[in-house]
Amino acid sequence: MDPRFEYQVNQTRRHFFGDSGLKLGGLALAAMGLSNGSAMADTSSGMVHPPLPGLPHFKPSAKAIIYLHMNGGPSQLDLWDHKPGLKDYFDKDLPASVQGGQRLSTMTSGQTRFPCAPSKFKFERKGESGTWVNTDILPHTAKIVDDITLIKSINTNAINHDPACTFVMTGSEVPGKASLGSWLAYGLGSENNDLPAFVVFTPQFPNDSNGQALYNRMWGSGFLPTRYNGVALRGSGDPVLYLPDPEGVARGDRRQMLDALQALNQKTLQRFGDPETQTRISQYEMAFRMQSSVPDLTRIEDESAATLELYGPDVTKPGTFAHSALLARRLVERGVRVVQLFHRGWDQHGSLPYQISNQCRQTDQASAALVMDLKQRGLLDETLVIWGGEFGRTVYSQGTLTKDDYGRDHHPRNFCMWLAGGGIRRGYVHGETDDFSYNIVKDPVSINDLNATLLHCMGIDHSRFSYKFQGLDARLTGVESPSVVKALLA
Amino acid sequence: MFQFSRIPALALWALGCFQISCSLIATAAETKPIDFNRDIRPILSDKCFACHGFDKGHRQADLRLDVAEGAFDNTRSSIAITPGDISKSEVWSRITTTDPDAIMPPPNSHKELTGAERELIKRWIEEGAPYAKHWSFEPPQAVAVPNTSHPVQNEIDAFLGQKLEERNLKAAPVAAKEILIRRLSFALTGLPPSTADVKACLDDNSDEAYSKLVEKYLDSPQFGEEMARHWLDVARYADTHGMHLDNERQTWAYRDWVIRAFNQNLPFDQFTLAQLAGDLLPDPTEDQLIATGFNRCNVTTSEGGSINDELLYRYAVDRTSTTISAWMGLTGGCAVCHDHKFDPISQREFYQMYAFFNSAADPGFDGNALLTQPVLKLNMPEIRTQQQAIDEKLAAIQTQIDEKAATVAYQDPATAEPKSETMMVENIWMEDDFPATGRVFASPGATTQYVESLEGGAVFSGKRAVKRTDAGLAQDVWDQAKEPLLLPQGASLFAYVWLDPANPPKTIMLQYHRSGWQHRAVWGDYEAIQWGAANTTERVGMGPLPEVGKWVRLEFPVEKVGLNPGDGLTGFALTQFGGTVYWDKVGVAGAVNPATDPQRSFQAWWQQIAGKDVAGIPDSLKELAKGGPKPEVDAALLQRYYVQAICESTKANFTDLRAQTETLKQERQRLEDTIPSTFVFKDMPSPRESFIMLRGAYDKKGEPVQPEVFAFLPPLQKADPNARATRLDLAKWLVAPNHPLTARVTVNRFWQQFFGVGLVKSSYDFGSQGELPSHPELLDWLAVRFQTSGWDVKQLVRLIVHSAAFQRDSHVDQELLANDFENRFYARGPRFRLDAEQIRDNALKVSGLLIDKMGGKGVKPYQPANIWEPVGFAGSNTRFYSQDKGESLYRRSIYTFLKRTAPPPFMSNFDGPNREQFCTRRERSNTPLQALQLMNDVQHVEAARVLAQRILKDGGADDSSKIRFIFQEVLSRQPADDELQIVQLQLNAHRQRYQADKDAATKLVAHGESSRDESLDVTELAAFTLVSSMMLNLDETLTRN
Repeated sequence: MDPRFEYQVNQTRRHFFGDSGLKLGGLALAAMGLSNGSAMADTSSGMVHPPLPGLPHFKPSAKAIIYLHMNGGPSQLDLWDHKPGLKDYFDKDLPASVQGGQRLSTMTSGQTRFPCAPSKFKFERKGESGTWVNTDILPHTAKIVDDITLIKSINTNAINHDPACTFVMTGSEVPGKASLGSWLAYGLGSENNDLPAFVVFTPQFPNDSNGQALYNRMWGSGFLPTRYNGVALRGSGDPVLYLPDPEGVARGDRRQMLDALQALNQKTLQRFGDPETQTRISQYEMAFRMQSSVPDLTRIEDESAATLELYGPDVTKPGTFAHSALLARRLVERGVRVVQLFHRGWDQHGSLPYQISNQCRQTDQASAALVMDLKQRGLLDETLVIWGGEFGRTVYSQGTLTKDDYGRDHHPRNFCMWLAGGGIRRGYVHGETDDFSYNIVKDPVSINDLNATLLHCMGIDHSRFSYKFQGLDARLTGVESPSVVKALLA
Repeated sequence: MFQFSRIPALALWALGCFQISCSLIATAAETKPIDFNRDIRPILSDKCFACHGFDKGHRQADLRLDVAEGAFDNTRSSIAITPGDISKSEVWSRITTTDPDAIMPPPNSHKELTGAERELIKRWIEEGAPYAKHWSFEPPQAVAVPNTSHPVQNEIDAFLGQKLEERNLKAAPVAAKEILIRRLSFALTGLPPSTADVKACLDDNSDEAYSKLVEKYLDSPQFGEEMARHWLDVARYADTHGMHLDNERQTWAYRDWVIRAFNQNLPFDQFTLAQLAGDLLPDPTEDQLIATGFNRCNVTTSEGGSINDELLYRYAVDRTSTTISAWMGLTGGCAVCHDHKFDPISQREFYQMYAFFNSAADPGFDGNALLTQPVLKLNMPEIRTQQQAIDEKLAAIQTQIDEKAATVAYQDPATAEPKSETMMVENIWMEDDFPATGRVFASPGATTQYVESLEGGAVFSGKRAVKRTDAGLAQDVWDQAKEPLLLPQGASLFAYVWLDPANPPKTIMLQYHRSGWQHRAVWGDYEAIQWGAANTTERVGMGPLPEVGKWVRLEFPVEKVGLNPGDGLTGFALTQFGGTVYWDKVGVAGAVNPATDPQRSFQAWWQQIAGKDVAGIPDSLKELAKGGPKPEVDAALLQRYYVQAICESTKANFTDLRAQTETLKQERQRLEDTIPSTFVFKDMPSPRESFIMLRGAYDKKGEPVQPEVFAFLPPLQKADPNARATRLDLAKWLVAPNHPLTARVTVNRFWQQFFGVGLVKSSYDFGSQGELPSHPELLDWLAVRFQTSGWDVKQLVRLIVHSAAFQRDSHVDQELLANDFENRFYARGPRFRLDAEQIRDNALKVSGLLIDKMGGKGVKPYQPANIWEPVGFAGSNTRFYSQDKGESLYRRSIYTFLKRTAPPPFMSNFDGPNREQFCTRRERSNTPLQALQLMNDVQHVEAARVLAQRILKDGGADDSSKIRFIFQEVLSRQPADDELQIVQLQLNAHRQRYQADKDAATKLVAHGESSRDESLDVTELAAFTLVSSMMLNLDETLTRN
């Protein structure tokens, strides 16, 4: 990190913690023998995660992002991209003119035939916008189509999971770059002093789905300092690593231990004057506060019955998508900048209709609930919600093909994502694909375009948002020149 | 940043100009003549070169400003720079105009020149616009050591002193001895000093006290462990493949080699040659081959759907970029897609460098295998010694066998008179052992179990029987026979079986392999094992299970299972479903004529094996055996082998001796199987053709290229001028005396290791976008000295830690902070947070838990649940973390198993890289998550408890002496009075509390798998555990001060 930035942050911290820090030496001694608490546990009004100077570049339309990543490559053909004409092409080969000699995954490039598989599901027009949607397995999302922008023309460069996920999250297929959330935490900081700026969930997924691996790099800080790593709140066990005190240590014990620790650290600070010591003193206090604020975050008993019902029956089970979605709302409510949910299992090379139904059963209601819940609380206007995977799936079938059973291979050339809230147009469908959902015919949106647009909503000009790395001004949006997709904006 | 001496940092911040980093350095030259590299190049590089630099693909207006020829080109309509005359320099008018269409840099670049920068460019042009080659591309010069009035321990201080004087900074005095010892110990060993070392050094008032300690640490094996840690970040070493399944890979011998290399003080040039081209050295040693693992440490995948060519391409690019960065400190990655914009590396040159690595023999798909070829089986001397002892025993037994064979009378029935008659015989296939000419395996489980007795009495015959207990389907199999077992006329197959009455199986089965496993006989539940088509000879029901608790002979004609006399079997299997089953004496009974039976007639056997390579025959007899019967040849030795090993009528005499032989051979094999392998780098037999890859796409081949080095650096000296350049040529070129980068980059990385920041802060970038060295003369002097010392790493380290700069007190006040925030001028001593591994190792060391065993497979210490699992791929063998037990919990952190997609939290939480890419410099963050880990991680809570046990046992009688003891053990110093008082108050509070709640105390002291010392009072132990935990969390504890 640039030393001057470090210095400035430390100045802020010194300002913020200076008073309590200086008092500490005397107070801590006085506090000894008290069973619990001391002046040091008070929160202060300063910022623990300050934004970079000069950011945001302009007035943002969204303060926070909730990114619902459907990992594995959800089939656009079976969820959103309705192709009624395909029924006439059942088990007929995809015309070569459509396929156009594009790169295929080696899982199907050896196939002698590329038979088309029409979706077996029922599609209906919904809402005032009349957006087509699979109402069999997305009955809840169907209710919010007037609140979202559906993009049918997202495309990516990568055809395999690992590079595609790395690309969608970091703007590069090669590991080592910073993730979207880390960029935002770095640039914008967070308004909450008691929680990390960037929080991640990896909820459970159906046992019999094909779960691809996740990689820490998808929420990693890459070349940015590691304090901008996403903090994965865990579904089972402690939501934050090492959060609870060990058995046998009560809050009062911890406070006492911390009082002694801080008093001695204060002496070290006086002796050596190292600003890092000051930071360390404040981080131990932050840790102490997180030990309360995180359990408070996960205490969903205080939600109304109506809210819990909105998210569905899984909401009370930690580790489920629904539970994580509710926590996502509670996090942005508390000023956390970025929340990402990584739901796995969307990789249907075979048994697609069966598996994708299971996937939707776990995610449909809660995804829609999240948007509705944010809306009813007035938070949707300042929260950007994104739903989507790393690529789409092919119109031609992989493996068994019947009218009710088929599989689909990876398809990077077009897939669907939806956005809602914070500055995004409502009830709008962007982009169009050909009759086979194989090629984009109108308004392509690249991953870098999408990320540039997300940054724009957060008040950041992507071309001015860079970090020196390996001799380059590294950007989330890469070295090409992507553009903000204005049509998506409200 | 140098100009901050007079301008408050925050004021600059308010201007929002933090992204301008290099250019600020330039203004240091207010009074000195302009130096192109120091003052001008950083400005041009950051603001101009992207469009007017080396990259011709993106060059605008056909103008380049990176070389004088471009800038001064007077054939242009307007000359960019006219030396000495700003009025005739287009550059000047374009950077000072207010016309938004003409101003440079253009607004859409989001780059702007500051007033100070413009002023510098003006002065430079006025001074004649002298250009110079980028500083790091000129060979380092042997600079004379300057004079300075500052305190000097060695030459380093003389160079530093000059800058201190220039800046009016006052060097701090030498640090207190306790602090210095601790600093030195962490710097050289990564561990805190032992209390004994501290005492010895404090008691030693001689001038050499410090030097003695330096030598002690340099000689300790922990030196290599500490030094290796840093290099392993560069080498991106880890224990998994890194992508997709992220399965385990076995290449830890490379990690151990790095440690060994530092401990043996392998000169850095040798260190380089071994890693980049060890396989090409003449008669490479094992170590030199292991070292090539450097270039196998990159991430690999086996994800279905990937494209082989793309993977091969990516691996070669990674190896190229890593080499360029690790040795030359340049950012080659830029030139993957286009000419480098800032440094003179063209895309062609990148691919020429890539051509050195593009012939790698390893596959694109790693196969998700533990060992992806090419690998090297290690030569483990201790195992080889054990095997040698076995070989000697084997030889002794063989002598006994031979001696006995000479005494056993044998008459070949083929030559006997009268001619023999056909007779009924039994040929035994398994008695004590399976035939040596095939493979034995057991399933499930690793090995076949033998017993020499059973619950019900003795084995049926010979010395031992096979035993198997299982809840389900299980078997012992012999297959892949090199010599088929022949079925005689009228043959029936037989086997002896004993079923455990206490645990009978559901089913037993005998299976035979001719051209396939299609011959099965089943006793008991016919449906329990569903192998083979029912009611055919593939699965023949033989009736109920035999009587339990006694040896029963199972026997049936071969035809019953679809076999015929004359068939040769190449496998059989003893199979069961559930229960406990013993098997003994398996074979075939039938009618043979001894005169023509190879099991009885030496001549018949010899005839049968003629022309074949038969396993088991001693090497010395193989030729003879293969040659077939020839009357003129003396076959006595071969016949002696036949008598002891083959002949049914005589071999029983040798059963005992042969069983001993088999046991020893199996032991030998077991030892062989424990020998690990490691990834090595090799080229394919003929080189893979390399091309410029257009826009960095694996399938867009441009022009072909040959291996070659960058043109702006010294030329490559090929060993064979007429041949294609080799990796060895490349490695030698990197460490050639005239190479300007390698020595500088290397000494800078070592400097960074000891002072926290390098002399060149951007230790990964010595190109024009990198930062300039704070002390260029010192860097050059160190580089030259390092080279001329024979690349002696320990000598360099010795020099650095003996400098006054390293030994200074680290106190800093506000003024010095404002003047030199990062301590780039070394007026004070280095002070920074310990690295991830050091923090954990420190807790283990001061508690006394640390196991100092070195090397071997990565270990899995404590880790919270759900670190691997939530990210793990369903089919991955690193999906589930299975924590080790015992001493593996307390090994040094360098030996912790590192899974790339989910590194251990004690690493990632403290800025340890995930090793997906090379990393030359770690960040040092300071976060609440770190505080939580150090307070609550069982590893640290346990360490605190074990430290508390030591305090209670060795810390003296009263609280005060105990607290003094903790300070000494944890901080290597005695507490001040008020510190003593703070801890006493803490202790009192805990003591009071745990006396009142003994249950809580008992819980607190139960953390961790090491057993608690039961002799100690639980309340006291709990109270001191929290005091110890506090001490282990101190800023002072976590800092190398």
